[in-house]
Amino acid sequence: MAEKIKILYVDDEPENLVGFKASLRLDYQIFTAVNIPEAIRYLDKDPEIRVIFCDQRMPGKTGVDFFEEIRITHPLPVRIMLTAYTDVDSIIDAINKGHIFRYVRKPWIEADIIWAIDEANKFYMANSMLAIKNDELQKAYNELNKFAYSVSHDIRGPLSGILGAINLARDVDDVDEMKEMLFLMEKSVTKLNTYVLSMHDYYSLQRGELKITEIDFNNIMDELKAIYSVNSKINHVTFKVNVKQDEVFFSDKAPLRLILNNLLSNAFKYQDKSSKNKSVEVDIEIKKSEAVIYIRDTGIGILASHLGEIFNLFFRSNSLEVGSGFGLYNVKSALVKLNGHIEVDSVLHQGTTFKVTIPST
Amino acid sequence: MKAEFSFIIIDDSELDCFVTKKFLERTNKNFVIEIFNNAEHALDTIGKNHSLEGDLPTIILLDLQMPRMNGFKFVEEFEKLSPEIQKNYIIIILTVLSPSRDPKDLYGIFTYRKINSIVEKPLTKDKLNSLLNEVRMGSIK
Repeated sequence: MAEKIKILYVDDEPENLVGFKASLRLDYQIFTAVNIPEAIRYLDKDPEIRVIFCDQRMPGKTGVDFFEEIRITHPLPVRIMLTAYTDVDSIIDAINKGHIFRYVRKPWIEADIIWAIDEANKFYMANSMLAIKNDELQKAYNELNKFAYSVSHDIRGPLSGILGAINLARDVDDVDEMKEMLFLMEKSVTKLNTYVLSMHDYYSLQRGELKITEIDFNNIMDELKAIYSVNSKINHVTFKVNVKQDEVFFSDKAPLRLILNNLLSNAFKYQDKSSKNKSVEVDIEIKKSEAVIYIRDTGIGILASHLGEIFNLFFRSNSLEVGSGFGLYNVKSALVKLNGHIEVDSVLHQGTTFKVTIPST
Repeated sequence: MKAEFSFIIIDDSELDCFVTKKFLERTNKNFVIEIFNNAEHALDTIGKNHSLEGDLPTIILLDLQMPRMNGFKFVEEFEKLSPEIQKNYIIIILTVLSPSRDPKDLYGIFTYRKINSIVEKPLTKDKLNSLLNEVRMGSIK
Protein backbone atom coordinates (compact mmCIF):
# COMPACT_ATOMS: atom_id res chain seq x y z
CA MET A 1 0.00 0.00 0.00
CA ALA A 2 1.17 3.48 -0.80
CA GLU A 3 2.21 5.62 2.11
CA LYS A 4 -0.46 7.87 3.56
CA ILE A 5 -0.51 11.41 2.26
CA LYS A 6 0.83 13.85 4.84
CA ILE A 7 -1.43 16.76 5.70
CA LEU A 8 -0.92 19.74 7.96
CA TYR A 9 -3.86 21.59 9.49
CA VAL A 10 -3.37 24.96 11.17
CA ASP A 11 -6.16 26.42 13.32
CA ASP A 12 -6.19 28.41 16.56
CA GLU A 13 -9.16 26.46 17.94
CA PRO A 14 -7.97 23.12 19.35
CA GLU A 15 -11.41 21.51 19.04
CA ASN A 16 -11.36 22.07 15.27
CA LEU A 17 -7.98 20.37 15.08
CA VAL A 18 -9.21 17.40 17.10
CA GLY A 19 -12.30 17.01 14.94
CA PHE A 20 -10.30 17.23 11.74
CA LYS A 21 -7.78 14.68 12.87
CA ALA A 22 -10.45 12.31 14.20
CA SER A 23 -12.37 12.08 10.98
CA LEU A 24 -9.40 11.90 8.58
CA ARG A 25 -6.60 10.13 10.42
CA LEU A 26 -7.42 6.68 9.05
CA ASP A 27 -6.85 7.69 5.45
CA TYR A 28 -4.19 10.34 5.87
CA GLN A 29 -1.32 11.17 8.13
CA ILE A 30 -2.47 14.34 9.88
CA PHE A 31 -0.28 16.93 11.61
CA THR A 32 -2.03 19.70 13.52
CA ALA A 33 -0.68 23.04 14.66
CA VAL A 34 -2.40 25.51 16.92
CA ASN A 35 -0.36 28.47 15.73
CA ILE A 36 1.85 29.53 12.84
CA PRO A 37 5.30 29.03 14.40
CA GLU A 38 4.32 25.47 15.28
CA ALA A 39 3.10 24.93 11.69
CA ILE A 40 6.42 26.16 10.32
CA ARG A 41 8.28 23.82 12.64
CA TYR A 42 6.32 20.89 11.15
CA LEU A 43 7.09 22.07 7.62
CA ASP A 44 10.80 22.40 8.36
CA LYS A 45 10.90 18.98 9.96
CA ASP A 46 8.94 17.08 7.35
CA PRO A 47 9.49 18.05 3.73
CA GLU A 48 6.99 15.44 2.60
CA ILE A 49 3.93 17.31 3.80
CA ARG A 50 1.86 17.65 0.67
CA VAL A 51 -1.26 19.57 1.64
CA ILE A 52 -1.72 22.42 4.11
CA PHE A 53 -5.12 23.52 5.40
CA CYS A 54 -5.16 26.80 7.25
CA ASP A 55 -7.84 28.78 9.00
CA GLN A 56 -8.08 32.43 7.92
CA ARG A 57 -9.01 34.08 11.20
CA MET A 58 -6.31 33.56 13.77
CA PRO A 59 -4.78 35.87 16.36
CA GLY A 60 -1.63 37.57 15.11
CA LYS A 61 -1.11 36.48 11.56
CA THR A 62 -4.01 35.56 9.28
CA GLY A 63 -4.09 32.48 7.09
CA VAL A 64 -3.30 34.70 4.10
CA ASP A 65 -0.18 36.05 5.79
CA PHE A 66 0.92 32.52 6.60
CA PHE A 67 0.42 31.30 3.03
CA GLU A 68 2.12 34.35 1.59
CA GLU A 69 5.14 33.63 3.77
CA ILE A 70 5.49 29.89 3.15
CA ARG A 71 4.87 30.29 -0.60
CA ILE A 72 8.50 31.42 -0.71
CA THR A 73 10.05 29.30 2.04
CA HIS A 74 8.09 26.08 1.46
CA PRO A 75 6.79 26.24 -2.11
CA LEU A 76 6.00 22.55 -2.59
CA PRO A 77 2.99 21.78 -0.33
CA VAL A 78 -0.40 22.65 -1.81
CA ARG A 79 -2.18 25.42 0.10
CA ILE A 80 -5.89 25.26 0.98
CA MET A 81 -7.74 27.95 2.93
CA LEU A 82 -10.47 27.21 5.45
CA THR A 83 -12.72 30.10 6.27
CA ALA A 84 -15.85 30.39 8.38
CA TYR A 85 -16.99 33.59 6.75
CA THR A 86 -18.08 34.24 3.28
CA ASP A 87 -15.49 36.92 3.49
CA VAL A 88 -14.87 37.76 -0.15
CA ASP A 89 -11.94 40.10 0.51
CA SER A 90 -9.90 37.56 2.41
CA ILE A 91 -10.56 34.93 -0.24
CA ILE A 92 -9.40 37.29 -2.98
CA ASP A 93 -6.32 38.07 -0.89
CA ALA A 94 -5.68 34.39 -0.35
CA ILE A 95 -5.81 33.76 -4.07
CA ASN A 96 -3.70 36.74 -5.05
CA LYS A 97 -1.14 36.84 -2.28
CA GLY A 98 -1.12 33.31 -0.95
CA HIS A 99 -1.60 31.62 -4.33
CA ILE A 100 -3.92 29.12 -2.72
CA PHE A 101 -5.11 26.08 -4.58
CA ARG A 102 -8.66 25.92 -3.13
CA TYR A 103 -10.72 27.26 -0.32
CA VAL A 104 -13.13 25.22 1.75
CA ARG A 105 -15.91 26.81 3.69
CA LYS A 106 -16.34 26.27 7.43
CA PRO A 107 -18.03 24.37 8.90
CA TRP A 108 -16.60 21.85 6.53
CA ILE A 109 -18.10 18.54 5.55
CA GLU A 110 -15.84 15.55 5.19
CA ALA A 111 -16.61 14.98 1.51
CA ASP A 112 -15.41 18.49 0.63
CA ILE A 113 -12.16 17.98 2.48
CA ILE A 114 -11.49 14.58 0.92
CA TRP A 115 -12.22 15.90 -2.52
CA ALA A 116 -9.92 18.89 -1.94
CA ILE A 117 -7.14 16.58 -0.74
CA ASP A 118 -7.52 14.35 -3.77
CA GLU A 119 -7.30 17.24 -6.16
CA ALA A 120 -4.44 18.83 -4.25
CA ASN A 121 -2.54 15.56 -4.29
CA LYS A 122 -2.95 15.24 -8.07
CA PHE A 123 -1.70 18.78 -8.45
CA TYR A 124 1.26 18.07 -6.17
CA MET A 125 2.17 14.91 -8.09
CA ALA A 126 1.96 16.65 -11.45
CA ASN A 127 4.21 19.42 -10.17
CA SER A 128 6.82 17.12 -8.73
CA MET A 129 6.81 14.95 -11.87
CA LEU A 130 7.42 18.09 -13.83
CA ALA A 131 10.33 18.99 -11.59
CA ILE A 132 11.85 15.52 -12.07
CA LYS A 133 11.37 15.69 -15.83
CA ASN A 134 12.92 19.12 -15.85
CA ASP A 135 15.98 17.81 -14.05
CA GLU A 136 16.30 14.94 -16.49
CA LEU A 137 15.96 17.28 -19.44
CA GLN A 138 18.56 19.61 -18.02
CA LYS A 139 20.94 16.69 -17.60
CA ALA A 140 20.34 15.47 -21.14
CA TYR A 141 20.82 18.99 -22.42
CA ASN A 142 24.11 19.43 -20.57
CA GLU A 143 25.36 16.17 -21.96
CA LEU A 144 24.38 17.19 -25.47
CA ASN A 145 26.26 20.42 -25.02
CA LYS A 146 29.36 18.61 -23.90
CA PHE A 147 28.93 16.25 -26.79
CA ALA A 148 28.76 18.92 -29.45
CA TYR A 149 31.77 20.56 -27.88
CA SER A 150 33.87 17.44 -27.86
CA VAL A 151 32.90 16.39 -31.36
CA SER A 152 34.69 19.47 -32.61
CA HIS A 153 37.94 18.25 -31.16
CA ASP A 154 37.63 14.51 -31.53
CA ILE A 155 36.31 14.43 -35.06
CA ARG A 156 37.57 17.65 -36.53
CA GLY A 157 40.92 17.31 -34.78
CA PRO A 158 42.09 14.16 -36.57
CA LEU A 159 40.43 15.35 -39.79
CA SER A 160 42.30 18.62 -39.81
CA GLY A 161 45.51 16.74 -39.09
CA ILE A 162 44.95 14.50 -42.08
CA LEU A 163 44.04 17.50 -44.19
CA GLY A 164 47.24 19.24 -43.15
CA ALA A 165 49.23 16.13 -44.04
CA ILE A 166 47.65 15.93 -47.48
CA ASN A 167 48.42 19.58 -48.00
CA LEU A 168 52.03 18.96 -47.02
CA ALA A 169 52.29 15.80 -49.13
CA ARG A 170 52.03 17.87 -52.31
CA ASP A 171 55.62 18.97 -51.74
CA VAL A 172 57.06 15.74 -50.41
CA ASP A 173 59.31 13.73 -52.73
CA ASP A 174 61.10 11.57 -50.25
CA VAL A 175 59.49 8.13 -50.02
CA ASP A 176 60.55 7.45 -46.43
CA GLU A 177 59.14 10.74 -45.29
CA MET A 178 55.95 9.95 -47.14
CA LYS A 179 55.75 6.55 -45.46
CA GLU A 180 56.21 8.08 -42.04
CA MET A 181 53.39 10.46 -42.82
CA LEU A 182 51.13 7.68 -44.03
CA PHE A 183 51.80 5.79 -40.80
CA LEU A 184 50.76 8.79 -38.72
CA MET A 185 47.75 9.42 -40.94
CA GLU A 186 46.68 5.83 -40.44
CA LYS A 187 46.84 6.31 -36.69
CA SER A 188 44.61 9.35 -36.95
CA VAL A 189 42.11 7.53 -39.11
CA THR A 190 42.05 4.59 -36.69
CA LYS A 191 41.44 6.97 -33.84
CA LEU A 192 38.60 8.59 -35.70
CA ASN A 193 37.11 5.18 -36.46
CA THR A 194 37.31 4.11 -32.80
CA TYR A 195 35.66 7.34 -31.81
CA VAL A 196 32.73 6.79 -34.16
CA LEU A 197 32.33 3.18 -32.93
CA SER A 198 32.28 4.24 -29.28
CA MET A 199 29.83 6.96 -30.13
CA HIS A 200 27.59 4.24 -31.49
CA ASP A 201 28.00 2.28 -28.23
CA TYR A 202 27.16 5.41 -26.32
CA TYR A 203 24.02 5.98 -28.31
CA SER A 204 22.74 2.41 -28.10
CA LEU A 205 23.34 2.35 -24.36
CA GLN A 206 21.30 5.49 -23.87
CA ARG A 207 18.37 4.35 -26.00
CA GLY A 208 18.29 0.58 -26.13
CA GLU A 209 15.96 -1.74 -24.24
CA LEU A 210 17.32 -4.66 -22.25
CA LYS A 211 17.41 -8.07 -23.93
CA ILE A 212 17.81 -10.67 -21.20
CA THR A 213 19.28 -14.05 -22.14
CA GLU A 214 21.15 -16.79 -20.33
CA ILE A 215 24.80 -15.85 -20.08
CA ASP A 216 27.71 -18.25 -20.39
CA PHE A 217 30.76 -16.31 -19.19
CA ASN A 218 33.13 -18.95 -20.60
CA ASN A 219 31.64 -18.32 -23.97
CA ILE A 220 31.97 -14.53 -23.78
CA MET A 221 35.54 -14.75 -22.50
CA ASP A 222 36.51 -17.17 -25.27
CA GLU A 223 35.44 -14.61 -27.83
CA LEU A 224 37.38 -11.87 -26.05
CA LYS A 225 40.42 -14.11 -25.62
CA ALA A 226 40.49 -14.64 -29.36
CA ILE A 227 40.46 -10.87 -29.90
CA TYR A 228 43.13 -10.02 -27.33
CA SER A 229 45.49 -12.95 -27.88
CA VAL A 230 47.04 -11.09 -30.82
CA ASN A 231 47.76 -8.04 -28.71
CA SER A 232 49.01 -10.26 -25.92
CA LYS A 233 51.54 -11.97 -28.22
CA ILE A 234 52.78 -8.88 -30.04
CA ASN A 235 53.27 -6.82 -26.89
CA HIS A 236 54.39 -9.68 -24.65
CA VAL A 237 51.58 -9.26 -22.17
CA THR A 238 50.63 -12.41 -20.26
CA PHE A 239 46.87 -12.83 -20.50
CA LYS A 240 45.14 -15.04 -17.93
CA VAL A 241 41.44 -15.73 -17.77
CA ASN A 242 39.72 -17.59 -14.96
CA VAL A 243 35.98 -18.26 -15.04
CA LYS A 244 34.06 -20.07 -12.28
CA GLN A 245 30.44 -20.43 -13.26
CA ASP A 246 28.38 -23.24 -11.69
CA GLU A 247 24.99 -21.61 -11.88
CA VAL A 248 22.81 -20.00 -14.49
CA PHE A 249 23.08 -16.28 -14.94
CA PHE A 250 20.69 -14.00 -16.77
CA SER A 251 21.59 -10.62 -18.15
CA ASP A 252 21.85 -8.60 -21.35
CA LYS A 253 24.82 -9.83 -23.31
CA ALA A 254 25.56 -6.66 -25.30
CA PRO A 255 26.24 -4.26 -22.40
CA LEU A 256 27.98 -7.06 -20.48
CA ARG A 257 30.34 -7.65 -23.37
CA LEU A 258 30.86 -3.91 -23.73
CA ILE A 259 31.93 -3.64 -20.10
CA LEU A 260 34.42 -6.49 -20.35
CA ASN A 261 35.71 -5.37 -23.71
CA ASN A 262 36.31 -1.78 -22.65
CA LEU A 263 38.05 -2.73 -19.43
CA LEU A 264 40.22 -5.27 -21.25
CA SER A 265 41.04 -2.82 -23.99
CA ASN A 266 42.23 -0.32 -21.37
CA ALA A 267 44.17 -2.99 -19.50
CA PHE A 268 46.15 -3.77 -22.65
CA LYS A 269 46.38 -0.21 -23.89
CA TYR A 270 47.81 1.30 -20.73
CA GLN A 271 50.65 -1.15 -20.17
CA ASP A 272 54.06 0.22 -19.33
CA LYS A 273 55.96 -0.38 -22.57
CA SER A 274 59.31 -0.63 -20.83
CA SER A 275 58.19 -3.10 -18.17
CA LYS A 276 59.46 -6.71 -18.30
CA ASN A 277 56.52 -8.42 -16.63
CA LYS A 278 53.36 -7.26 -18.28
CA SER A 279 50.13 -9.03 -17.52
CA VAL A 280 46.37 -8.79 -17.70
CA GLU A 281 44.28 -11.06 -15.49
CA VAL A 282 40.56 -11.63 -15.55
CA ASP A 283 38.80 -13.46 -12.70
CA ILE A 284 35.10 -14.10 -12.95
CA GLU A 285 33.09 -15.87 -10.30
CA ILE A 286 29.32 -16.37 -10.28
CA LYS A 287 27.96 -16.92 -6.82
CA LYS A 288 24.48 -16.49 -5.38
CA SER A 289 23.09 -14.93 -8.53
CA GLU A 290 25.86 -12.38 -8.67
CA ALA A 291 28.81 -12.09 -11.01
CA VAL A 292 31.98 -10.69 -9.48
CA ILE A 293 34.58 -9.75 -12.04
CA TYR A 294 38.15 -8.63 -11.40
CA ILE A 295 40.28 -7.18 -14.18
CA ARG A 296 43.86 -6.62 -13.07
CA ASP A 297 46.68 -5.10 -15.07
CA THR A 298 50.31 -4.28 -14.43
CA GLY A 299 50.03 -1.02 -16.32
CA ILE A 300 50.93 2.60 -15.77
CA GLY A 301 48.16 3.12 -13.20
CA ILE A 302 45.92 6.12 -12.67
CA LEU A 303 46.77 9.26 -10.68
CA ALA A 304 44.91 9.17 -7.39
CA SER A 305 43.55 12.63 -8.08
CA HIS A 306 42.03 11.40 -11.33
CA LEU A 307 40.25 8.37 -9.89
CA GLY A 308 37.10 10.30 -9.15
CA GLU A 309 36.82 11.56 -12.70
CA ILE A 310 37.67 8.58 -14.87
CA PHE A 311 34.04 7.60 -15.39
CA ASN A 312 33.10 11.04 -16.70
CA LEU A 313 32.28 11.58 -20.34
CA PHE A 314 35.31 12.75 -22.36
CA PHE A 315 37.67 12.60 -19.41
CA ARG A 316 41.15 11.49 -20.44
CA SER A 317 43.73 10.84 -17.80
CA ASN A 318 46.62 10.24 -20.11
CA SER A 319 48.10 11.84 -23.17
CA LEU A 320 50.45 9.02 -24.06
CA GLU A 321 47.86 6.85 -25.68
CA VAL A 322 44.92 7.58 -27.87
CA GLY A 323 41.74 7.67 -25.87
CA SER A 324 38.36 8.98 -26.84
CA GLY A 325 37.09 9.73 -23.35
CA PHE A 326 34.13 7.45 -24.05
CA GLY A 327 35.36 4.09 -22.76
CA LEU A 328 34.81 4.16 -19.01
CA TYR A 329 31.79 6.42 -19.35
CA ASN A 330 30.20 3.74 -21.52
CA VAL A 331 31.20 1.08 -18.97
CA LYS A 332 29.47 3.07 -16.26
CA SER A 333 26.30 3.58 -18.35
CA ALA A 334 26.20 -0.13 -19.17
CA LEU A 335 26.52 -0.94 -15.47
CA VAL A 336 23.69 1.40 -14.57
CA LYS A 337 21.59 -0.49 -17.10
CA LEU A 338 22.47 -3.85 -15.56
CA ASN A 339 22.16 -2.63 -11.95
CA GLY A 340 25.80 -3.37 -11.39
CA HIS A 341 28.58 -1.35 -9.90
CA ILE A 342 32.28 -0.84 -10.29
CA GLU A 343 35.20 -0.12 -7.99
CA VAL A 344 38.68 0.85 -8.98
CA ASP A 345 41.96 0.49 -7.18
CA SER A 346 45.11 1.81 -8.77
CA VAL A 347 48.75 2.41 -7.91
CA LEU A 348 50.73 4.65 -10.22
CA HIS A 349 53.40 2.73 -12.19
CA GLN A 350 52.18 -0.57 -10.73
CA GLY A 351 48.78 -1.25 -12.14
CA THR A 352 45.05 -0.99 -11.86
CA THR A 353 42.33 -3.34 -10.68
CA PHE A 354 38.70 -2.93 -11.58
CA LYS A 355 36.11 -4.87 -9.62
CA VAL A 356 32.72 -5.19 -11.27
CA THR A 357 29.65 -6.68 -9.61
CA ILE A 358 26.54 -7.50 -11.62
CA PRO A 359 23.39 -9.19 -10.28
CA SER A 360 21.64 -11.85 -12.33
CA THR A 361 18.38 -10.47 -13.69
CA MET B 1 69.59 31.01 -44.63
CA LYS B 2 70.28 31.68 -40.97
CA ALA B 3 67.40 30.89 -38.65
CA GLU B 4 65.90 33.85 -36.81
CA PHE B 5 63.58 31.88 -34.55
CA SER B 6 63.39 28.57 -32.85
CA PHE B 7 60.15 26.73 -32.29
CA ILE B 8 58.34 24.68 -29.70
CA ILE B 9 55.31 22.73 -30.85
CA ILE B 10 52.89 21.61 -28.13
CA ASP B 11 50.19 19.30 -29.40
CA ASP B 12 48.89 15.91 -28.26
CA SER B 13 48.41 14.77 -31.85
CA GLU B 14 51.58 13.23 -33.31
CA LEU B 15 50.38 13.77 -36.84
CA ASP B 16 49.77 17.48 -36.26
CA CYS B 17 53.21 17.87 -34.70
CA PHE B 18 54.78 16.10 -37.64
CA VAL B 19 52.94 18.18 -40.22
CA THR B 20 53.71 21.46 -38.45
CA LYS B 21 57.35 20.51 -38.10
CA LYS B 22 57.65 19.63 -41.79
CA PHE B 23 56.02 22.90 -42.82
CA LEU B 24 58.48 24.80 -40.67
CA GLU B 25 61.43 22.88 -42.05
CA ARG B 26 60.29 23.62 -45.56
CA THR B 27 60.32 27.32 -44.79
CA ASN B 28 63.80 27.19 -43.35
CA LYS B 29 65.70 23.99 -42.83
CA ASN B 30 67.84 25.63 -40.14
CA PHE B 31 64.93 26.17 -37.78
CA VAL B 32 65.43 24.41 -34.49
CA ILE B 33 62.17 22.72 -33.59
CA GLU B 34 61.27 20.95 -30.40
CA ILE B 35 58.11 18.87 -30.07
CA PHE B 36 56.07 18.14 -26.93
CA ASN B 37 53.00 15.90 -26.92
CA ASN B 38 52.36 16.94 -23.36
CA ALA B 39 52.07 20.54 -22.14
CA GLU B 40 53.38 19.71 -18.66
CA HIS B 41 56.68 18.49 -20.09
CA ALA B 42 56.94 21.59 -22.25
CA LEU B 43 56.34 23.82 -19.25
CA ASP B 44 58.99 21.98 -17.21
CA THR B 45 61.54 22.40 -19.97
CA ILE B 46 60.74 26.07 -20.49
CA GLY B 47 60.72 26.71 -16.74
CA LYS B 48 64.29 25.46 -16.53
CA ASN B 49 65.10 28.18 -19.06
CA HIS B 50 66.34 25.60 -21.40
CA SER B 51 67.03 27.89 -24.32
CA LEU B 52 67.79 26.59 -27.75
CA GLU B 53 70.42 28.05 -30.04
CA GLY B 54 71.62 30.94 -27.92
CA ASP B 55 69.03 33.59 -27.42
CA LEU B 56 66.87 33.27 -30.51
CA PRO B 57 63.30 34.22 -29.80
CA THR B 58 61.21 31.09 -29.54
CA ILE B 59 57.76 30.76 -31.04
CA ILE B 60 55.47 28.38 -29.15
CA LEU B 61 52.79 26.86 -31.35
CA LEU B 62 50.18 25.73 -28.85
CA ASP B 63 47.16 23.49 -29.28
CA LEU B 64 44.21 24.24 -26.99
CA GLN B 65 42.35 21.00 -26.36
CA MET B 66 44.74 18.52 -24.84
CA PRO B 67 44.23 15.98 -22.06
CA ARG B 68 45.63 16.74 -18.59
CA MET B 69 47.04 20.21 -19.15
CA ASN B 70 45.18 22.05 -21.89
CA GLY B 71 46.38 25.12 -23.74
CA PHE B 72 44.67 27.62 -21.45
CA LYS B 73 46.14 26.04 -18.37
CA PHE B 74 49.55 26.03 -20.01
CA VAL B 75 49.39 29.77 -20.65
CA GLU B 76 48.21 30.43 -17.09
CA GLU B 77 51.20 28.52 -15.75
CA PHE B 78 53.52 30.12 -18.26
CA GLU B 79 52.48 33.57 -17.07
CA LYS B 80 53.73 32.64 -13.61
CA LEU B 81 57.27 32.10 -14.89
CA SER B 82 59.86 34.82 -14.41
CA PRO B 83 59.65 37.73 -16.88
CA GLU B 84 63.22 36.95 -17.89
CA ILE B 85 62.08 33.61 -19.25
CA GLN B 86 58.78 34.86 -20.64
CA LYS B 87 60.26 37.58 -22.79
CA ASN B 88 62.08 35.05 -24.91
CA TYR B 89 58.86 33.37 -26.03
CA ILE B 90 55.99 34.22 -28.34
CA ILE B 91 52.88 32.10 -27.90
CA ILE B 92 50.68 31.45 -30.89
CA ILE B 93 47.58 29.29 -30.66
CA LEU B 94 47.33 26.66 -33.37
CA THR B 95 44.03 24.87 -33.00
CA VAL B 96 40.87 23.56 -34.57
CA LEU B 97 38.22 26.24 -34.48
CA SER B 98 34.67 25.16 -34.81
CA PRO B 99 31.25 26.72 -34.78
CA SER B 100 30.15 24.46 -31.93
CA ARG B 101 32.86 25.91 -29.77
CA ASP B 102 31.58 28.18 -27.08
CA PRO B 103 32.20 31.74 -28.35
CA LYS B 104 32.96 32.79 -24.77
CA ASP B 105 36.00 30.53 -24.92
CA LEU B 106 37.35 32.11 -28.04
CA TYR B 107 36.84 35.54 -26.65
CA GLY B 108 38.57 34.33 -23.52
CA ILE B 109 41.70 33.49 -25.46
CA PHE B 110 42.48 37.14 -25.91
CA THR B 111 42.19 37.94 -22.24
CA TYR B 112 45.53 36.17 -21.81
CA ARG B 113 48.30 38.71 -21.94
CA LYS B 114 50.71 36.35 -23.62
CA ILE B 115 48.42 35.30 -26.45
CA ASN B 116 47.79 37.59 -29.34
CA SER B 117 47.44 35.42 -32.33
CA ILE B 118 45.46 32.36 -33.36
CA VAL B 119 46.03 30.21 -36.40
CA GLU B 120 43.36 27.78 -37.45
CA LYS B 121 44.34 24.20 -38.23
CA PRO B 122 45.23 22.80 -40.67
CA LEU B 123 48.39 24.80 -41.06
CA THR B 124 49.31 25.69 -44.65
CA LYS B 125 52.36 27.25 -46.24
CA ASP B 126 50.48 30.53 -46.73
CA LYS B 127 49.28 30.73 -43.15
CA LEU B 128 52.77 29.99 -41.89
CA ASN B 129 54.40 32.61 -44.09
CA SER B 130 52.00 35.35 -43.14
CA LEU B 131 52.41 34.41 -39.49
CA LEU B 132 56.20 34.59 -39.67
CA ASN B 133 55.97 37.91 -41.47
CA GLU B 134 53.78 39.32 -38.76
CA VAL B 135 56.24 38.19 -36.11
CA ARG B 136 59.14 39.74 -38.04
CA MET B 137 57.28 43.02 -38.42
CA GLY B 138 56.77 43.03 -34.69
CA SER B 139 52.98 43.08 -34.82
CA ILE B 140 53.00 39.90 -32.73
CA LYS B 141 55.06 40.05 -29.59
